[in-house]
Amino acid sequence: MIAAYRVSIAAVLLLQPLCIIAPALGASQNEVVDALGRKVEVVTPVRRIVALNSDAVEVLRILNVQDLIVGVFSQIDADPQFWGDLVNRRKVGSWREPNSEVIVELEPDIVLAYAKTPSPEWEARMAARGIRVLRFELYRIDSLEREVRELGRVLDRKEEAERFCSWHDLWLRRIREKVASVVPRPSVYVESYGDYVSAGPTTGGDQMCVDAGGRNISDVMAIPFPRVTPEWVVAQDPDVVVKAAVSNAKYGAAESGAALNRVRDRIMQRPAWNLIKAVSSGRVHVLDSSIWVGPRAIIGLAYMIQWLHPGLMADLSPEALHKEYLETFQKLPYKGVFVSDPVAGSDGKCP
Amino acid sequence: MLEIVDLSFHYGSSTILRGIAAHVPKGRILCVAGPNGAGKTTLLRCLTGIARPSGGQILIEGREVLRMTRRELATRVGYVPQHRPSGFPMTVFETVLMGRRPHLTWRPSARDLELTADILRELNLEDLAMRDLDRLSGGQAQKVMLARALAQEPSFLVLDEPTSSLDLCHQLEVMEMVQAVVGAVGMGAVIALHDLNLAARFADEIMLLKDGRVFARGEPSVLIGSENIREVYRVDADVRMGNGRPWVQPLRCVR
Amino acid sequence: MRSEAVSQGYIARNRQKKLLLVFAFLLLAMMAAVGLSVGASAVGPLDVLESLFRDTGRANTIIWQLRMPRIVMAMLVGFGLGVAGTVFQAILKNPLASPFTLGIGSGAGFGAVVVIIFMRGGLYPQLAAASAFVFSLLSAFFILGIAKMKHASSETMILTGIAQMFLFSALSAFFQYMGTMEQVYEVTFWHFGSLSKAGWREIGFTSLMVLIPFPLLVRRAWDFNLLATGDESALALGVDVERLRMWGVIAASLITAGCICFTGVIGFVGLVAPHIVRMTMGSDHCTLIPASGLVGGLLVLAADILANTVWAPQVIPIGIMTSFIGVPFFFYLLMKRTREYW
Repeated sequence: MIAAYRVSIAAVLLLQPLCIIAPALGASQNEVVDALGRKVEVVTPVRRIVALNSDAVEVLRILNVQDLIVGVFSQIDADPQFWGDLVNRRKVGSWREPNSEVIVELEPDIVLAYAKTPSPEWEARMAARGIRVLRFELYRIDSLEREVRELGRVLDRKEEAERFCSWHDLWLRRIREKVASVVPRPSVYVESYGDYVSAGPTTGGDQMCVDAGGRNISDVMAIPFPRVTPEWVVAQDPDVVVKAAVSNAKYGAAESGAALNRVRDRIMQRPAWNLIKAVSSGRVHVLDSSIWVGPRAIIGLAYMIQWLHPGLMADLSPEALHKEYLETFQKLPYKGVFVSDPVAGSDGKCP
Repeated sequence: MLEIVDLSFHYGSSTILRGIAAHVPKGRILCVAGPNGAGKTTLLRCLTGIARPSGGQILIEGREVLRMTRRELATRVGYVPQHRPSGFPMTVFETVLMGRRPHLTWRPSARDLELTADILRELNLEDLAMRDLDRLSGGQAQKVMLARALAQEPSFLVLDEPTSSLDLCHQLEVMEMVQAVVGAVGMGAVIALHDLNLAARFADEIMLLKDGRVFARGEPSVLIGSENIREVYRVDADVRMGNGRPWVQPLRCVR
Repeated sequence: MRSEAVSQGYIARNRQKKLLLVFAFLLLAMMAAVGLSVGASAVGPLDVLESLFRDTGRANTIIWQLRMPRIVMAMLVGFGLGVAGTVFQAILKNPLASPFTLGIGSGAGFGAVVVIIFMRGGLYPQLAAASAFVFSLLSAFFILGIAKMKHASSETMILTGIAQMFLFSALSAFFQYMGTMEQVYEVTFWHFGSLSKAGWREIGFTSLMVLIPFPLLVRRAWDFNLLATGDESALALGVDVERLRMWGVIAASLITAGCICFTGVIGFVGLVAPHIVRMTMGSDHCTLIPASGLVGGLLVLAADILANTVWAPQVIPIGIMTSFIGVPFFFYLLMKRTREYW
């Protein structure tokens, strides 16, 4: 009996150092800080990636790892021109309702998801199967660079990440410098996808408005997406109106422009809105959701600067910027219409 | 005169009524008797337009009932159901006023109100006029149902087991009331009754139904006898004459 | 004469009910005046008065283009839902029936979802409204079709309606599942209910849908009274019960569809307004139908005023607010009543 105990103790003592050393042999562990501020360990090299939303896929393309993508979000079929042959990868469900079975079957090393959806319970289930979920927003201007760098690091694409971040940072800095001292700041009514649903505090839209040198009239609200009455907007009498619209056909679709113009006209024809400065001076603009939130939010910001402070950054052409982004980072030609046309007869300048 | 000619009623594949024939002159009471399932209720439903007969004719003063609109039929036949209606609380006055519906244009006129009040007075219900219907006793409620039927100003009353849930006194009261009305106004009445003794006492004519057919029809003193009762009800009974009418004392079931 | 004395009680009660009806109407008018005077801009009650007589420019536009349509739509929709609720409760003989029991609300929601998800409904709001209208009528006719085929009772209609409601809800959820994030937001906001989309054109359409069936329903008030006493009694008293149910469902569905196609689902009003009236005025449909309309209008109007002021400058969606108001008031009445009224 005592001999048995001695053997066990010896075995345990011998094994301990092994347990400490062994994990480092052969594989290396990498740590990322996700969007929720958590430190997450990822086993590298990463060879198989599942992306649950379009922002993630777009960033993966920026980092030039699209060949590692084994599973994509199901709605990718809606925009085949933009995504190319990525639409042929396995579909794994939506950003909210991922198909866990398919994901498990694909045996990915990482799954990229938004910060809050799907639920933590789902994440725990994935972890139980040995699948690491990385929570990244990838759609907010202020957090994009950090997240791209983290991803670049763990995917061994530091160069690509750096190239994008310095490009992004360059323009962001230029914009912020120019805007920092601009006075006065025009008041802006920022409307999100639903009618009379405005972008309030802590939203990307609000941040973009501030970055563009404007004052968001909805920043006095208590919730991120408050519903407002037309009368309130009339009372606030904003200088500019910016709306983010959803058009199902985005990249490359010619009729997008007409659709965005229709949205703009509809807004301008809202009852009593002719009393609003923005409407009477034709400063009503609609932009497509793909440049409103997502990795291309900076394009949206570029447009907004032109609308809020025309002439302030004459060297910044949003279309050129967009073209540069698409050609450099997405390897696609610039195609399509992403903003509404300026109102005929207005020069877009402040009255 | 209410005439029933070769009336039949099928429900799906089963035949509920077959070859029913009767005539009820004004001022006379016909009681329909028979065991459960004999078809009494179905016959009454055909008379009141609640159900549509599969064959045969019902004529009221020579006019075919099936050709009448429902509203017209409701001005000729007044239905007194077995139970008071449940549901929203209604006052007695409102309930009786409902009987005026076949005559209403849109709202009750002054005449409708007057008539309702008259009927309530005649049936000694005027003190209960504003009382809720569900606050009344069984007997009072039954009288209100009768009043409602009378408000229709019908030529014929059709009553479905009016006494089944009443105590002895109220049973007699209601039947006497019907008899009085029939005699005074000159209406006819068709009453489905369980109680053979009541039928014997108040009917001018009794129709015995068995298995959906007319087993026998005739005056109470002739019709109500032990053989008929054994045939129809499968009950051995003693039938005696008393106070000019037969009365039945059931003895035992017959296998 | 004794007869007159007997009917006196009834006549007096009726006069009382008429007075209450007038009172409700006055209350509605007052509340409308309050609603007109309240809003996010600085236009106050005096400005409202002035704008009635002359064109005061900016204030005039605000009052006639923004406030007035909102108030009118609120009253109209509340009125319609109150009337429709009464009729559904009478036809289905069920105190829990509402304009949405038969799945009409789910049908409308489904119609809106289909357009938003598949036809870029965000760009064509009229299309969403039209689709909501069509689908709510379709769902009503489906129930009627089943009822006619199987000579269905009220219970069968309710069961079919509930099944339909679940089907539409599931389909709605499924389509939303297929949609993009933005589309899902749009659908959600449609379901909250909103009066902001109602302009004069929409009011024109809704008023036709509400005010044409309304007198036709009041005309049949006594038949609805009879329906409440049971199918058999009603039939025996000359009411064509099946036809009454059919036309009643059609009329009430038209009203409901006409209301919610522009505003989204505004719940609870159609359920609770008839009960409030029954507890105070009794169940005679001659007064019950119009009174439920007035009470419904009051509820929605009050909800709208509160929704715009309680958490300013945020607006609480109207569908949520009607429940907040309706429920406590309903409980209050429930506690105070002395007799079973159903």
